[in-house]
Amino acid sequence: MIARAIFWGALALLPLMVKTDFVLTIFIYAFIFGILGVTFDLVFGFTGQLSMFHPAVFGVSAYMTHLLVVNAKLPFWLATLPAAATAVVLSIVVGGICFKFRLKTFYFAVVTLAFSEMARLIVMNWNSVTNGTLGLVVSGKPTIWWPGAGVVAIKGPVAWYYLTLVWLAATVFVCARVLRSWMGRAFGAIRLNEDLARTLGINVFRYKLVSFALGSALASFAGGLYGYYTGYIDPGYLGINQSMEVLAMVLLGGQGTLTGPIVGSLVLTGLPHVIDLRAEARAILYGAILIFTILVMPRGIVGTLRAWRARRAA
Amino acid sequence: MKRMPTLLGILAAIIVLAAAPAFAQDVVKIGQIEAQTGPNAIYGWMSSQGTALAVDEINKAGGFKVGGKTYKLQLVALDTRGEPKEASVQLKRLVEVDGAKYIFGPFLSNVFLAVRPYAGEFNGKILMWGGATRIHDYVGTPGHDFLMRTWNWDAGPNGFGELMVDQLVKQGVKKIALLYQNDQGGKVMEDIYIAMFKKKGIEARLDYFEPGTKDFSTVLAKIAAWKPDYLFPGYADSYIYDIVRQATETGQLKKFFLVRGSLGPGLKNKDALDEYMVYVPKYFEEAEKKDPKVQKFIKAYKDFYKRDFPYDQAPLCSSSCYDHVYMLVEAMKKAGTVDDPAAVKKALMGMTYEGMWTLRFDERGEEIFNFDVVRLKKGGALEVTHINPK
Amino acid sequence: MTQLVLGQVLNGAIVGSMYGIIALGITLTFGITGIVNFALGEFMMIGAYATFALAERGGLPYPVAVVPAACIAAAAGYLCNKAFFRFTRGNLVNGLLVSIGLISVFESAVLWYWSATPIEMHYVLPGAIRLGDVTLPKMKLLVFAVIVVVIVLTYVGLARTWLGRASFAYAQNAEAATLMGVHTERLVTAVMLYSTGLAGLGGALYASLYSLEPALGGVYVLKGMEAAILGGIGSLMGSLWGGVILGVIEAVGSIFLPTAFRDAYGLVVLVAILLFRPSGLFGDET
Repeated sequence: MIARAIFWGALALLPLMVKTDFVLTIFIYAFIFGILGVTFDLVFGFTGQLSMFHPAVFGVSAYMTHLLVVNAKLPFWLATLPAAATAVVLSIVVGGICFKFRLKTFYFAVVTLAFSEMARLIVMNWNSVTNGTLGLVVSGKPTIWWPGAGVVAIKGPVAWYYLTLVWLAATVFVCARVLRSWMGRAFGAIRLNEDLARTLGINVFRYKLVSFALGSALASFAGGLYGYYTGYIDPGYLGINQSMEVLAMVLLGGQGTLTGPIVGSLVLTGLPHVIDLRAEARAILYGAILIFTILVMPRGIVGTLRAWRARRAA
Repeated sequence: MKRMPTLLGILAAIIVLAAAPAFAQDVVKIGQIEAQTGPNAIYGWMSSQGTALAVDEINKAGGFKVGGKTYKLQLVALDTRGEPKEASVQLKRLVEVDGAKYIFGPFLSNVFLAVRPYAGEFNGKILMWGGATRIHDYVGTPGHDFLMRTWNWDAGPNGFGELMVDQLVKQGVKKIALLYQNDQGGKVMEDIYIAMFKKKGIEARLDYFEPGTKDFSTVLAKIAAWKPDYLFPGYADSYIYDIVRQATETGQLKKFFLVRGSLGPGLKNKDALDEYMVYVPKYFEEAEKKDPKVQKFIKAYKDFYKRDFPYDQAPLCSSSCYDHVYMLVEAMKKAGTVDDPAAVKKALMGMTYEGMWTLRFDERGEEIFNFDVVRLKKGGALEVTHINPK
Repeated sequence: MTQLVLGQVLNGAIVGSMYGIIALGITLTFGITGIVNFALGEFMMIGAYATFALAERGGLPYPVAVVPAACIAAAAGYLCNKAFFRFTRGNLVNGLLVSIGLISVFESAVLWYWSATPIEMHYVLPGAIRLGDVTLPKMKLLVFAVIVVVIVLTYVGLARTWLGRASFAYAQNAEAATLMGVHTERLVTAVMLYSTGLAGLGGALYASLYSLEPALGGVYVLKGMEAAILGGIGSLMGSLWGGVILGVIEAVGSIFLPTAFRDAYGLVVLVAILLFRPSGLFGDET
């Protein structure tokens, strides 16, 4: 509890000490990918389903949000809702097919990857809507009502830092509430033993789908935020690399925890900018750090720290 | 858990490495953001090689004098891996932490578009020159005074593509098949060339292939059935080698028209093809024999990197690379300042630099330089045309 | 039109056999160690560059260079197994993360040494054979033949040898197999050696057909996974068939539909087949 308070407190106070856009940007990206990581962990770490569909959700919602703002003239905040709804519909279709046919582990991963790739190919070639491989330049920023200042655009690194941090905290909060409820227990039962869960009267199909859809809905906001933060979106967002990156974040930080993916995201987003070596050496060291961290800490950073603390307490 | 401290030790060591002291007095910092690793490394790799070489040469020669003071150059070259997210963090680092006012790169359009908004905040305070195709859309427009494009444009009366297509028209070519990589670069080329062929009365068809494709047999068979006069494969040698080999091996297509890529794939298949017409910023094999500047560059390259000279990739050095470092230094001397990118840009716009290439910028800030068109005939006969745009 | 389709069916089968040899490695590794060796593409890359180095720099004739190249890949696989994969056994995702790390390490190391300039071997067997209106490059036919022979030999060998019976026993019931005297560690090492060696051989053959770049393995490992699942995990001949079917679908799909969607054609069929036969085309119905 104390560790968690220190963690969030430190993140909340960081911009008071660090002013550079460079460092804050690393954190902003880490928070956005943290949202993705936490929601992925809801599906993967807590429900046991290795989904590779997250990048599709991320990319499609980035496009949806922007297109709704531009074409339907919706404000950013309102546009994120239909984007989230689309993510839910997509994941119900994909998840429905996969879970109906009881695809598990490796099979589930490959089929969700297949759907994700198809989504990427569609976005990439649907020129009239998505502008294809040229991508879309996103101008404009979300606005917010601020006491004393009225409606202002969210601009600058500090404002974005807090926006993404608050959003990440809200995501973690929602996930934590869900996991503490009966739904969370059903997810856990499915992860541990699907057949046993079924005999216990848990509707495995329904709860897997709920987990998948909820994870996607929450992840969709990361897409919208990312597009509006960077100011440019292209089909590369939907690629398999994104999948791998999110997976690496969750595993490195600690699967089955809510803080783990955030720690993983901070480490992996920051790492390339901390190593100051020539390009090839940097990539080699980056890979080596990934390998050794997971070998030394098979349960990830947070998972290992927890086990360590538990052992000390005992 | 005994291993935990070791790991923390490693991480600490990395952080210490990162904080290596930057030497202060009288240096001009040049930042570079190019993809040096990753699937698109081929574009940024040569640029980053050439830049480092020029910086080293200038510093070894004792630096350069501006306003009575001697300066040295410091290059901070970062590898974007072709990832927009990473590049945008790196640009912020270069500008804020390193205080670099001169940014070389990027060559990749997706990277450029992602860093553009941030760079725009420093309009007038930095100078960025990159080879990315999409820079063409922004260079010279309001709010983009910081931007210059370091590559010849395809279209227009001086465009290399237009000049080459005119040669096809003269030959009476009627049908041309385009085979492009489905990415940003391919799409931009579609927009340029489909319109150009239409205007000049050449019938064109276009097929896209997925990046990463190595086997082109199917799409080549499809194209061959259409019986085009020339095949116009997209860009990047990593594909062109395979396209040319597979097209000629089965004897389906034998004439090639290229505006990006190198002569390498043509030479390799010289006996199986009829014609291979390619735009190269410089035909190094020939230039090496004639031009002392090119000789010096090749020798310096071999000494500095201790490896063979990459004749294939060297032409990419016409983009924000070796010559440009020297040109930048000249511009600083002319402007009499090293701290004012706006003044340096003004100097750049009005000058012509004679390096390996003759470099100058048009009124928008897009570069115009001399280039070569090489025609390779069956058996290996070469015909090199040197073109000096007006 | 007919000869275009016929030619592409043959060509797709050849290209697909290359997916098949990677799929075989994936099937073996996953079936026996529970690891998806996502880095298998990197061993393919090692095999390809080793062949190039031995044949172009070392001056060995190509057919002679292929064998040591595959051995080099297998040796690298052995080392990776000893150093890393040993610790992630039975943990699919941690193995995946190690693979991701290895990809970064291997690709950058090759890039460092060879640079980003594409390289291509001399043509080992240039020219093409004409069969009626269908033209097929000679080298491609040879590569296809080699792969088919290797996969069939693996199939036959695994049915006959001690190692083969042990692997089947282990894949079916690990605990029982261990009790019956199957030395787990040795078995897993053997599978790792063999699958990376196969990937290395795939790479060596690849080097005779295409130009090389450090990232060449990425596509093949994905296609290999698709092919392995399509054919049915655990089925040795299924991996070959899976690869061939995938290759043919991609080729024929690209004739009638836009080439830009090539990868999607295989994926659609893969998903469709999995829904009707969750264990793949040739997998056990369990």
